[in-house]
Amino acid sequence: MITNHIRRLRFEHGEMTQQALADRIGVTRQTVLAIELGKYSPSLEVAFRIAAVFKVPLDQVFQFQGERR
Amino acid sequence: MSFREKSAWISFGSILLVYAVYFSRVAATVFGDADGRGAFHWFLATVISLVVLEVVLHILVAILSPHEAKTPKDERERLIELKAAATAFPVLVGGALCAIGTMHLGVGVWTMGNAVLLAIVVAELVRFGAEIIHHRRHA
Repeated sequence: MITNHIRRLRFEHGEMTQQALADRIGVTRQTVLAIELGKYSPSLEVAFRIAAVFKVPLDQVFQFQGERR
Repeated sequence: MSFREKSAWISFGSILLVYAVYFSRVAATVFGDADGRGAFHWFLATVISLVVLEVVLHILVAILSPHEAKTPKDERERLIELKAAATAFPVLVGGALCAIGTMHLGVGVWTMGNAVLLAIVVAELVRFGAEIIHHRRHA
C-alpha cells in the first residue's frame, strides 16, 4: 500500500488548492483527490512532478507501507 | 463531478433513451404484429437523434465548465477508459455469439442484424456504466 503526505505538503505551501496542484502537474483535480485518498497510485512521472512542485525528494511525498492484507 | 464523468453520464443516458425507443419498436415487430415497414428510417432517426443529443448535451456541459472541457485526459482517466472497455468486451463477445445463435432459430437477416446491434448497445451501456462507477469510486 502506498501512502502520501500531499495534503500536509499542500497545507505547508500556502494551502495550495487541489486544482492548483493539478494544473501544475498536468492532471485533473479529481486525480489529485484520488491520489490524496490513496485510491489511485500515480505513475512515476506524475509522482516525480508532485515532488518537484513541493521541492522535496520523492520519499517525502510517497511511502510504501507493504502489501495490503 | 468531473467533465469526463458528466460525459459518461450523457453517453449512458442518451444511448439508453434513444435505443430503448428503437428496440421497443423492433420488439413490437418481432414479437407482436406491428408492421416492420420503414425500419431503415427508424434506424436512421435513432442514429441522428443519438448524435444530436450527445453533441448538444456535451456542448452545454462544456459551456458550464470550459476549463475542464479543454483539459486533455490524464493517466487516471485513460486507465478508467481501459478498465471499462475490458469490462464491456466480454459482454460484446457474449452478445455477438447470442446474435449468431439466432441463426438457428430461423429468424431473418433483419432480426439478426438487430440482435447484433443490441449486443453492441448493451456493451456500450456496460462500458459507460463501468466508467461512471470507476469515477464515483475515485479509482
